[in-house]
Amino acid sequence: MTSDVANSRVALTGLRVFYALLVLFLYAPILLLAIFSFNDNPTPAFPLERFTMRWYQQFLSNPQLIGSLRNSLVVASISSVIAVALGLAGSFLLVRRRFVGKSAVSALMLSPLVIPYLVFGIALLILFSAVDEFLTNTMGVYIGLGLHAVVVGHVVVSLPYTILTIVPRLERMNISLEEAARDLGAGPAQTLRRVTLPLLVPSIVSSFLIAFTLSFDEFAIASFLTARELTWPVYLFAQLRFPVLLPQLIAVSVIVMVLSIAVVVATEALRQRAERRLDLAPPA
Amino acid sequence: MRPPETRTARPARPRTWPATLGLLSGPLLWLTLFFVLPIVIVAAYSVGILKLFPTDTSSAFHDWSRLLTGDSIYLGLFWKSMRVSLIVSVTCVVVAYPVAYFLALGARKRKYVLLLVIIAPFLTSYLLRVLAWKVILGDAGVINSFLFWTGLRGSDDPVQWLIYSQFTVMLVLAYVWVPFVALPMFVTLENLDHSLLEASADLGASRWRTFLRVTLPLSGSGVLAAFVFVFIPTIGEFVTPLLVGGTRGYLYGNAVSDLFTQGLDWQAGSVLSLFLLAVVAVLMAIFARFLQVRSVSA
Repeated sequence: MTSDVANSRVALTGLRVFYALLVLFLYAPILLLAIFSFNDNPTPAFPLERFTMRWYQQFLSNPQLIGSLRNSLVVASISSVIAVALGLAGSFLLVRRRFVGKSAVSALMLSPLVIPYLVFGIALLILFSAVDEFLTNTMGVYIGLGLHAVVVGHVVVSLPYTILTIVPRLERMNISLEEAARDLGAGPAQTLRRVTLPLLVPSIVSSFLIAFTLSFDEFAIASFLTARELTWPVYLFAQLRFPVLLPQLIAVSVIVMVLSIAVVVATEALRQRAERRLDLAPPA
Repeated sequence: MRPPETRTARPARPRTWPATLGLLSGPLLWLTLFFVLPIVIVAAYSVGILKLFPTDTSSAFHDWSRLLTGDSIYLGLFWKSMRVSLIVSVTCVVVAYPVAYFLALGARKRKYVLLLVIIAPFLTSYLLRVLAWKVILGDAGVINSFLFWTGLRGSDDPVQWLIYSQFTVMLVLAYVWVPFVALPMFVTLENLDHSLLEASADLGASRWRTFLRVTLPLSGSGVLAAFVFVFIPTIGEFVTPLLVGGTRGYLYGNAVSDLFTQGLDWQAGSVLSLFLLAVVAVLMAIFARFLQVRSVSA
């Protein structure tokens, strides 16, 4: 029970109202989009017409749209796997090892958090252009921009998030479990595989999802690095100039939004349950 | 209280160097190649050490001096972006604080669920949320069509300042960031030592006095962290202005982006990018002192 303003009934009621209004404000635009995705009017405007599912059907027969969704799925999957793998390595490094220059390494691994994506996207654009310039002049080959460049960029910006997710779990982990495994004759690799990593699974899954969501939705960096194959946000952005496609785009957006909220909520619930079961002693 | 059998890992002894190096190599190699190197290359390119196009000059200090002495529009745009970012950040903090406070100190049983409800929109697509506002604020959009439909305004007289203005950019950015901002403030408020508040009440302070003199100052670091988390990224914001800003909402980030995609003056663009990066680095250094940032693992 707190002893300041929140102790007063009037203030609490006011705060509750404010909370409700804010939730309304935050969700109204999303709900409006959802409503208009079923509206039988190519322009999202009032008054509402009949209910229809045709926008949801229409986008399924739009190969470019589907292609961009597929590209984003592929890019997000690959970059997340790499980011989680590198994040695991980085986390073990920060939690389990002591070495010279550790704080500098720690700062380096977290620094992509603060770089503006505009600057980073441009930097990667210039990097790939410079490398291509060099390769063309020396060997006559050419890498070019494209989805591979987007994967590279997304791994960099996802890495801090994976580390920040895995490190706390690793720090809190009970080392006696690993020592018991070693005492029973398991080698280091076996201990890692059968004790440490399974205990880390909730945070590994969490960090994968964070990286995936980040990559799937990321526009700024991808906008500088895509070539002919577009990712979903880049495609969406490009099509926003054409009003005729708007209803389809809204329909897909609603699906993506609902899915992402559902996945986040489900994962968080599962993760908390898994962590409670995997901890022999809950954290103090 | 930790039970006696629970121990956390000690740092390893020197004979595990190979493993350390192995672990180091992965993330560090990636970051050096794809994070540090690009930035170095941009710096080299911006002063003309590196050349990519035939039109690139090698005395690009010219571009730098133009930027810094205000000889071009870019410095003015930069201050405009700083101002917009400041307004957005302050608004977000002011709006989110009561919610963070309510969840940390007022709600009791379901505070984490209520927090997730506030944060969930931030986890959905940024582009989609901006698109939603584009649909809502347009001349034939939701708000205006609603006004026409109910007869409150004639259909030849839409409310025009809603979209393609600086206001639009600020409104949409605030909308995007408010959920995110609630989290650090909630964490700080939740970790407050309640006995301090009780002590204040015991000493005779009224509820408001306790809030103003104890709670608010103690939550200062959370408020500052929240502010910084919005302020710094928003300086370089270009996506929202591109979608809903029009000419009046044109920001520094747009100028940089356009130099690469429209104007094709990559060198000037690099100069502007590096300038932004330098500003961000300086701001981070300043705020890090205030926030007493710990390293990730002590």
